[in-house]
Order: sequence, then structure tokens, then C-alpha cells
Amino acid sequence: MKTQWILVSLVGTGLAFTLSSFLGIFEKRVDYNTQVKPLLNKNCIACHGGVKKASGFSLLFKQEALAPAKSGKPAIIPGDADASEMIRRLTLTDPDERMPLDHPALKPDEIELLRNWIDQGAEWGDHWAYQPVQKPDVPQIGTFLSRLGITANDETDWAKNEIDHFVLAKLNENELKPSPEADRPTLIRRVSLDLTGLPPTEKEVADFVNDPSSNAFEKVVDRLLKSPAYGERWTGMWLDLARYADTKGYERDPGRKIWRYRDWLIKAFNADKPFDQFTVEQLAGDLLPNRNGDPANDDKFVATGFHRNTMTNDEGGTQDEEFRTAAVIDRVNTTWDVFQGTTFGCVQCHSHPYDPFTNEEYYKYLAFFNNTRDEDVTSDTPTLRFLKPADSTKLVTLQQFIRRSVANPRQAQATVEQVTHLIRTIEPKINSHDFDQYVNASLLDAKYFGFQDKGSCRIKNVTLTGRPRMLIRWGTKAENATVTVHQDRLDGPVLATIPTPKPGKDTVQMIPLPAIQGRHNLYLSLNSTKKPKEWVQIKWVAFAPVLPGQPQNATGDQDKLLTDLLNADAEQTPIMLDGSGDLFRETHVFERGNWLVKGKLVTPDVPKSLPNMADSLPKNRLGLARWMVSREQPLTARVAVNRFWEQLFGTGIVETVEDMGTQGIPPTHRELLDYLAAEFMDTDHWSVKKLLKKMVMSATYRQQSTASPELLAKDPYNKLLARGPRVRLSAEAVHDQALAVSGLLSHKLYGPSVMPVQPDGIWQSPYDGDTWKQSTGEDLHRRALYTYWKRTAPYPSMVTFDSPSREFCQLRRLRTNTPLQALVTLNDPVYIEAAQHLADYMRQHGSSPSQQIQAGFRRVMLRDLSPKKLAVLVNLYTTTEHYYQKQPGQAENLLDRPGLDCSTVSPQLAALTVTANTLLNLDEVITKE
Amino acid sequence: MNKLRNELQQAAAESETRRHFLHTCSTGLGAMALSSILGSCGFFSKESSKNNDVGAASLSSEPTAPHPSQYLPKAQRVIYIHMAGSPSQLELFDYKPELAKYNGKDCPQALLEGKKFAFIRGTPKMLGPQGKFAQYGQSGAWLSDYLPHLQGVVDEVSFLKAMYTDQFNHAPAQLLMHTGSARLGRPSLGSWVTYGLGTENDNLPGYIVLASGGKQPDAGKSVWGSGFLPTVYQGVQCRTDGDPVLYASNPNGMDRNIRKQTIDAISQINQQQYNDVKDPEILTRIAQYELAFRMQMSVPDAMDIKSEPQYILDSYGVDPAKGSFARNCLLARRLAERGVRFIQLFDWGWDTHGTSADGAIEIGLRNKCKESDQAVAALLKDLKQRGLLDDTLVVWGGEFGRTPMQENRDGQTLPFMGRDHHLEAFTVWMAGGGVKQGFSYGETDDIGYYGVKDKTHIHDLQATILHLLGFDHTKLTYQFQGRPFRLTDVAGKVIKPVLA
Repeated sequence: MKTQWILVSLVGTGLAFTLSSFLGIFEKRVDYNTQVKPLLNKNCIACHGGVKKASGFSLLFKQEALAPAKSGKPAIIPGDADASEMIRRLTLTDPDERMPLDHPALKPDEIELLRNWIDQGAEWGDHWAYQPVQKPDVPQIGTFLSRLGITANDETDWAKNEIDHFVLAKLNENELKPSPEADRPTLIRRVSLDLTGLPPTEKEVADFVNDPSSNAFEKVVDRLLKSPAYGERWTGMWLDLARYADTKGYERDPGRKIWRYRDWLIKAFNADKPFDQFTVEQLAGDLLPNRNGDPANDDKFVATGFHRNTMTNDEGGTQDEEFRTAAVIDRVNTTWDVFQGTTFGCVQCHSHPYDPFTNEEYYKYLAFFNNTRDEDVTSDTPTLRFLKPADSTKLVTLQQFIRRSVANPRQAQATVEQVTHLIRTIEPKINSHDFDQYVNASLLDAKYFGFQDKGSCRIKNVTLTGRPRMLIRWGTKAENATVTVHQDRLDGPVLATIPTPKPGKDTVQMIPLPAIQGRHNLYLSLNSTKKPKEWVQIKWVAFAPVLPGQPQNATGDQDKLLTDLLNADAEQTPIMLDGSGDLFRETHVFERGNWLVKGKLVTPDVPKSLPNMADSLPKNRLGLARWMVSREQPLTARVAVNRFWEQLFGTGIVETVEDMGTQGIPPTHRELLDYLAAEFMDTDHWSVKKLLKKMVMSATYRQQSTASPELLAKDPYNKLLARGPRVRLSAEAVHDQALAVSGLLSHKLYGPSVMPVQPDGIWQSPYDGDTWKQSTGEDLHRRALYTYWKRTAPYPSMVTFDSPSREFCQLRRLRTNTPLQALVTLNDPVYIEAAQHLADYMRQHGSSPSQQIQAGFRRVMLRDLSPKKLAVLVNLYTTTEHYYQKQPGQAENLLDRPGLDCSTVSPQLAALTVTANTLLNLDEVITKE
Repeated sequence: MNKLRNELQQAAAESETRRHFLHTCSTGLGAMALSSILGSCGFFSKESSKNNDVGAASLSSEPTAPHPSQYLPKAQRVIYIHMAGSPSQLELFDYKPELAKYNGKDCPQALLEGKKFAFIRGTPKMLGPQGKFAQYGQSGAWLSDYLPHLQGVVDEVSFLKAMYTDQFNHAPAQLLMHTGSARLGRPSLGSWVTYGLGTENDNLPGYIVLASGGKQPDAGKSVWGSGFLPTVYQGVQCRTDGDPVLYASNPNGMDRNIRKQTIDAISQINQQQYNDVKDPEILTRIAQYELAFRMQMSVPDAMDIKSEPQYILDSYGVDPAKGSFARNCLLARRLAERGVRFIQLFDWGWDTHGTSADGAIEIGLRNKCKESDQAVAALLKDLKQRGLLDDTLVVWGGEFGRTPMQENRDGQTLPFMGRDHHLEAFTVWMAGGGVKQGFSYGETDDIGYYGVKDKTHIHDLQATILHLLGFDHTKLTYQFQGRPFRLTDVAGKVIKPVLA
């Protein structure tokens, strides 16, 4: 009996096996991306991937995986799992042989899956995010008749636009129903905070609540999109990505003036600059046509501040080249992080562990960025200089002179552009840290070259053809000293002998040199016998053509005008500029990521696993930027859409906004992401305002955020979007809202960063005298994005609410919930002042405590307070009022502020202040509901 | 305590499936941590993903709740004393009689070729040791007369005399020491430790920083920053002037009782809001407001040394009216007693180049030693006397060493005796929490220029500290920008000979 049963079951098993292999061809095809790749990533790729290729076997690229391994045989034979070493090794029992080594074996169904995949031909699939964006079909909802508007249907009634179709399709799959629309006060607060970072006013709420028209909400949205506050809000987001700060970082962390870039962002967002153009200008605005120094084009240069927000190191003894390289690497990584949602940083040292990028490709990409003129010089050069009006007039005079002196208009224009460019940017020039062969010389404080009596140095490889004017910026305390310029050797022909400048400020001088052809080394030697120990310090030198109409062997009046303009004091903002000619920089692979060990020479290119750059595109930053926003580029639009979605909904469609690669979390609504990305590029021509409008107009966005216990259990993180977003406000919004509802907020746009109230002792950088100089007037109450941002000591309340320090690009802020946040909104003088002013408002808007409290709550939350909550606050009011009646001195202390109307001081106002302080700390107040 | 730890270990091992984790954890924070913890990153071995499950417990709605280390630790907490600017090992610990013979002679070119110094240019002169050295204690440790008090407790200490680093400037060297990387942006040692272990006192931050010497360390707050770890793990600087924790004081005119009533009102209204909308984040917020209220008391209380008896104040040399390094040492003991996990002291002013009296070996360094030696010795004795030294690891050191040559800044003779930054060799010592008593490891050459035996790198020190706290430094990781990061990057070896 028993034997028979075994026999039957054996036969049965055998039959089943045979059947299953016969039926194999009918089996659903194994999908590489969703089924195989996750298994490989989890179990194999750590040893057989981009970093380690154990036994010469890697699963990262198809050609690698199918190539012979160290054994001489390929480990995968497409179409034949039984003959594939990989499958054999997965199924062995000997622990020394069985894979994954030292880890539990794969489960039988997992092995079966790999087996099927190999039998089916071991097809490699490209990761979805690296495939071009195709617009998917919009899922149908409701019924045929309801779609025609003939019958009613829950789905068609609920949906507002295509977004909702995609969301409904997912909800239906999961047997969930969407939530109804939030009430109007909640909705307008949500959309106002989302689009402008500020709460609406009571009037705006009333207008919306009382608007019976069918497009009432759209009117609100359109108004918000037109508000200047819109640009400020989205700039706030972008500043984290641009790692914007008002200081340079590292030890000394001194100030840097780059706020014009911040203002460029505000204007770009407000003007709805198409996102492709927005991208190109930030990455390569300097390389766009019309680089003639015309102020009309300044914006394109200012935009390149995006990548001048890298840190620079002014500390003594640091090597500028090391930190220049660090900045270039940061630009590469940031470009990938921000625009491509791919972590490229790992490829610096080795091929990407999971995603299809090789080590060499990193350096080819780096070559796009490696040719910029910034070199970690203390002056933050190159900068765009903003001449004072009188100097601008001088510039026009000089330009006119050039035009008059050159007959050929095209040539005149070229010369004007070249001269203007020199004056506006002081480029091209050679920074003195590049001098070498020091004698009696030193790189003073590791910044600028200096020499003493009998000192000398070499300036390498200077092309002098057509450039017989040496410009030099220098300074000294030495007297009666001279510098001699020699050609080719230290004792070579003397090209010029120049007296050093008068002791005092650095000056730029123009030195005529004889006309010389070709590329030469120049040697500078110093004779300074009167004060031999005093240093003569040189900041930079440049070699320029003779100005038209000026003498060859001496300097003329227009030359003087030019040097005056080079010496003029001017405000500046750091920009990107590329080097050419002698200043062109080659790029080599850094062996194992070490910048000192230079490997193979590489030229700029994009990774092979992404679409090629069109031949028409130049192989420079501009070409790269244009490639990034080309229609076939798969990442840029998806990443942008996902980021904007995350800002509104709290979580991205791909939750890992920073990583769309194979290690990122898969999208919750991939078709929706592709749909939005396609629309963004094709229909809306990269208009961010249209994209945001589409999102906020959807029924999905407008849902109420309340969750039923069932929904919470089923979808705790609202990945399926069956309810509206409910997330804590950003650091900026917490701050700006408190100022707005208390009536303190200044709506002033633009300008240098401001210093609001901050506790003493936050800034303690060694070696620098920078101090926090509290702003005055309305600058005390500006929106948070204007607050001066010091990298080593950022504004404390912002950091407490999860702002990054902006040392590097941060793609996503983690929302924490900590006691230190409570202490900020409870006790920070900024929030106490807000409470005092809110209390004043409450005092004037009601005759009873409960009316006043209602008025205060309505001012903040734009709806009525429920009776239960009101009772809690009235109770608080009553006990505190009682206390302040007994302690009038305490009431005065609490209310004390500059400009206080003393006649209003009362126990009642003190109690209202306590109540207002409480209001500003309610969960619902610091949350977007 | 052990029982609790076992229970936690058990719970952590059993509980954290993805769903469970999702359920218990608060929103964005948990979601972000998720990829680190459950991201099935190919780098992790199975054991390490278990370790990271322990981390998962730490990132639940109470991210700083205490939780067990990877294996039984010797140390429960750390007091890390960083002498910012870097004291001269040649005056204090590393006795080099040979160097005295070369005093005033030109430095041999062989020691200069291919080297970079922060300030030395051209050919500097050698500078002999300025301290008077003798051997002390049972262990016969060499110490100079600069540190008379340490002489009395030297048998508690393990010296690492052949430490070396890669960075010769303060900020990057301090970053390397505290974050494992010379560049900004990585989590600090204390953040890793609180991320791994949580805190034992839920009325106090788990990671507290005290600074003295008038300035912050050169690298700023980044040396106690949380880098890419969630901000709950960053060091909280308790200030010596003003509020010990920013905004801990209630505003003028609002006493603690009123504050209590406001917190109660906030909690009641938030509770009602929770009843309506069911967002679990609200419950966390209620808990955090209540913790904030307790911290308003417990932090000033911990920081208030009025209750310390006079003999204790005297033993540390504390003037209660003044913020000082000595007071910070006493505070460190008070915080250790209260279960703070990582106590970081910075004392600024040890950068003795010889450019001024304060920066002179014969004046500035002697003064810094006078200001600190007694307090450090008192701290070790005090911890020992209270039975805390057994499980408290004390670390003392700078960010690099000083050159055996006298500094000649920009080729000029300086008015005072000073030494430049030196990365080849310096001394760090450790005491308590699982390190050998009265021990010395590592040797430098006759003039103290290079380590010649048992050299130890910064990453080795970090690996050792984590080891003493019960962590394998290669397995305490966090997923960021597509790869797992750890304190010791791709390096570091536990210095086993110093383990007790």
C-alpha cells in the first residue's frame, strides 16, 4: 500500500515535471527588471557586480555576464539553464561551492525563476528609468454612459483630470475608494502653502468659500501661480539642491556674495522659465550665444552660480588643486543627483555597483566640467562684476573708442566683446598659484604667490602671439623694488623691468611687452634691496592684445581707462567660465578615485547606457545641458516631475527622489509618472506652472487628508493616494507662516541675505571676524529663504526643522519630529514676538476671550475652532489670566517688546499671548492638512 | 540592565518585518531609513542585515530608545576629550632625548623632501623637547612636568603613541577624526553611536557636546553633525553661556507652571486632532512636546553644578562662576551618570605655532596644560570612584601631532617656540571602558618624526571605539546616495592589543 502510494506520487511528480517543461513555453515570460534584477541585486551583485568581479564574473552588464569567467567558461548559457554554471552553483550542497557564498541558499522558487529566465534566453532588460519616456494610455474610469455624462457614477463624478484616472486604476486594483474633497478652508490653506509657502489671508479664504462658480478653485490656483511668493517658495526648494549658502564652507567658512543667483531663481520660477531652459542656463548659461558682456545677458551668467555654490577652502596650507578637484567632482555628482536622480558618486572610484555606468564614463562626464576657470582661489574668481554707474559710463566710452578705431564692424564687435568680457569677468588670466620654480618665494598663506629680494619664479607656457600686454594684479610693502620679466630662462632676454606698485592696496597694472611669437615660459625676478624681507605678492597675470588705436610700446589713454576699469571696485557674483588655449585643462581618469594618480586621458561624453549626444551638440557643458533636456533623454523630465510631485504630496511617485536607479524604490504609479513627464515635455513645453497646476487641480490632490482606521491599516503611508497629503510644514513654511499670521512678515523681494534675531554665540568660526549683525527694519521679518546661510553654523531654528547645512546638495529633507523643534516654536524669541503680535490681533477681534481665541485660530487655520478645542484654550486663558492678575510684573515681562503700546498691557493681553503661543504650536498649525 | 538588553535584542530580532516596521515608524524618517535598513543592498551579509534590523528598532517612533549593540559591549558610553588645535606629543607623552641633541640644528633635507607642511617653508631648525620627562606609576609611563596631575592616574591609561593621519589642516583633520572623512557631510562618531545604541536617559539628548577655550573647533558643528543620518542623531551642544540647550528657557514672564499648562493644552488639542484624523505622527508630536518640557528641567539640572560639594569642585579645579574646560569635565561626569551615551568635549587653543605667547610651547601650551590637567585627572578618579570608569570609555587627543622641527612660518624666525602641524606621528590616550590599564602601544623613531612600530590610523582608533561599544565597524552602516556608508569608510582595524 505504502509502496504503491510512493510509486504513484513519484510518477505524478515525474509527470508534473515533464508537463511543466512542456508547458514552459507557454509560461509567462520572466521579466528581467521586475523579477530577475532584484534577485541579482540582493544576492549576487555585491561580489559579481561593478565593484567586485569575483572569479571574473559580473552580472552588471549583459556582455560581462555572458563572457567567459575566470574558469574560461561563461557562467550563463542563454537558453540552457542546465548547462549554466550559475544555476549549478546555486543548487550545490557543499557550502564552499554553493552560491551565495556564506549566505543562505536562494529559495527553490527563486532558483526556478532564474532557471526559467536563462531557459528563455537570459534577456537583459534595461531599467525602466533608462528607457525613453513614452506617453501611456490614460486608463478609463466609470462606465461608458457615465463617460458620456449620461449617467452618474462615483468615479467619473470624482475625477477631475487624467491624474485621477491613473490613481483610480491603482485604487481599484487594491479595492480602495478615494476620499471626498477637503473642505474649502482646508483646501485653500493646503494649496496656498504648497504653491507659495504662505497661508492664505482670511479674505482670500472668504472669497473662495463664497465663490459659487464652477472654476472657483482654478481661480485660486491661477492667482497663487501669479503671486511673487510662488517664486520664493520654489526657490526655497531649489536652494537645497543647489547647496546655496552665503559662505564658502570648510574651516574658515568666510562670506561669499552669491545672492544674485538666489534672486535669479526667484525670477526664473516667477517667469515660469521653461524647465529645459532653466536647466541649460544654470549648467551652461555662460556658453550660450551672445556672450558680449552686455548687461542684458547678465542673467545667463548669474544662473551659472548654480555650480559656483561648491565649497572652497581658504585654510592655510591647503592645496587649491585638491579643492578645485573636489568642487568639480561635487558638480558632477550634484548634476546627476539633481537632474538625473541617479547616484553617480560611486562611479568615481569603480564602476557603479548596480547601475550600468562604468568608472571611465564618470571621468568622461567629469571632462565636461573640468575645464572651468574657478580654481579654489580665495577671491572666488571668476566672477561677474557689476560696475558702478560712473564706471559703466567709462566702459561705454571705451567701447565707443574701440568701434571708432576698428574699421571692420564685425572685428570691432569682436574686440568690444573681448574687452568687455575682460572687464566684466577678469578672464582669461593666470592665477598666481600656478607659478612654479620658486626661489626666495612662497605661496603666502597657501593662497597667492609672493617673493622677497632676489626671489624669482616661472610662469609656464604662455602664448604671447598677438598678446604683448601683460596685466598684473599685485601689492607690496616693499619700496623702490623692481620686477624683471625674462623670456624662456631666468637669465633669458629681458622683456620688461617694472617698478613694484606703491605700498598699499593691490593694483592692476598694464605692462607693454615686445611683440613675440609663440608659446614661452616667462620668469619673474625681484630686486628689492631697500626692504629685502618685504613680500611682493602677485594675485594674477594676464596677457592681452593691444587695444586698437593705442601705442605698441607704451600705454595710452584708453589703456589707462581699461586698467582703471580693472581696478574699479565692483560688486561681484561667482560664475562659471570655461578655459581655452593655454588655459584649457585635460581630464584623466583618477585611479581608484584618487586625484593625485592620473590615469588614462579622456574626452567629454555621456554614459553609453543613455542615449548618445546628437552630433550637432558641442562636446561641452552647453552640449551636455542640451542633451539632458532632449526629448529622448529618459531621466531629466521624470526626475523633475517626481520632485515636484513629492513637494505637493509629501512622497514622490518614486519615493527615493534621489535614486531612480535599480536600487531606488520602484514607482507606485509608473504610468502616471511617464504620463506627466511626457505631457511636461511635449504638451506643456517644460512649463513648471502648468505641471503644478495639473497636479493641484486633480481630485487626488484635493482629497481630505483624514484617514479611516481601515485605510490607515491598509495603506499607512498613503502610497496609493486614497487620501490627501498630511505632512509637517518645511522649516521655511513654519517660520514664514508664524510671521504671516502675526502680521509681521515683510513681502520685500530679492537682495542680500538678512540676519534676523539669532541667539548669541552661534557663530564661532576660528580666525574670522565675521559676526551676526542683526538686520533692522523690515529685514528682521523677511521670508526664511533670505536668511543668511553660514554653512558651519546655519540658522539654528531652520536646522532644527531639518534644513540641511547645504555643504552638499541634499535631494530630500527627512522630516523628523523632535523635542528641539518644540523648543523652537515654544521659546525662540522669533516665535514669541509672533505670539505677541497675534495676541494683539486677537485683542482687537473680539470682546470675550472665546471670541478672541476663535479670531486667533481663524487667523491661523482659517476655519472655526471646534467647541472641545475651544474649551481647552478658554480654560488655559482663564487660568493664565488669573495668574497674570496676581503677577502684573510677569505680564509686563511677557509683553515687553520694542514699540509696545503700554496702554494695552494687561493680564488679559498676557493671557492672550500665552494662548497665541499655544496656537502656534498646535500640530494642525505646523502641518499641511 | 542586562535583562532589559536581552529582551530588547530578542524583540528587535523578532519584530521588524517590513510591514511591521512601516507600521510602527513615523513618516518620512522611517521611509528614508527604510532603504537603508531593508533596502536589500547587496553589500550586506545576512548577519549585517540583522544588525540593521536592530537599527530599524532605533528608527521607530522613538528613534533614540535604547537598543542593544551587535555584541556584548565593554563600554556603555564615551567621554571624548578633543584638544582642538592639537597638543604637542613631544612635550607631553612621547619622550625623545635624542631630539634634544639636534636642538637648533638644521632639519635634514631627507625629512623635508616631498613633504608638505601648513606653515614651515625652506629649512627649519630642529626643536628639542621642552618638558622634563620622567616615568610614573606602576606602568612606568613617560610623562612630562607639563602634566603633573595625569602622573597620578597614569596607570589607568592606554597610550597610542604612533597614531597618524592624512590631513595636516585643522578642519579636515578634525573631520577625519570625528566623521571618518576629511570632507564635510558625514555623520560624526557620536551620531553613529547614538544611531546604533540610542540613549539611556529619555530626559536628555543622547549625544551632548561641550566646548571651551572661547571658540568652536575649526571644523565647526560638522564634527558633531549627523551628516546623512537623521537629525535626531546629531550632537546637541550644551552651551556654557545662556541656555544650555537653545531655546530651553521659557520667555520672560512665563514661568514653568504656565509652560506646563500650555504643553497640556497643546497635548489635549493634539489628542483631539488625532482622534479626528488618526495620523500617528500626532502621537509622536505629543510625546516630543512632553519630552521637550522635561528637557527644559533635566538639561539645566544636569548642567547645574551647584549641588556638587566643594571638595569635588576643588578636585576638578572648577570655579563655579566661570565656564571652563574644568567645568566641562565635571559636567561630563554628571552627564555620564545620567546615562548620556556620547559626551564630546572640545577645548580650543592647543595650536602652538610660536607666533604669539598664547601659541608658544613654553607659555601657551603650559597654560593649556595647567587649565586642563587637573580636571582630566580628577575626571578619571571621579569616574573610578563612582564605579563608572569600568563602562565609560574616555578618549583624549588632538587631530594630529606637532613637528619635531621648530616652525619658521613663511621662512621667517618666529618670536616664540612653536611646532607646525604634523601628520606622521602623534599620541592619543584612552582609559576605562574595556581598554588595558597602564599600557602603551606604538613607537616613534628617535626624534618622534615617524611611527616605526605598531602604527595606528584614525580609522583604527574609530574601529576600536566602536568595538568597545559592541559594534563591528564594518557592519554599522547606513544606506545613502546608493551605497552603504560607515564611519571608517573602507578602512580601519580594531587595535586589539589595547583591549583589556
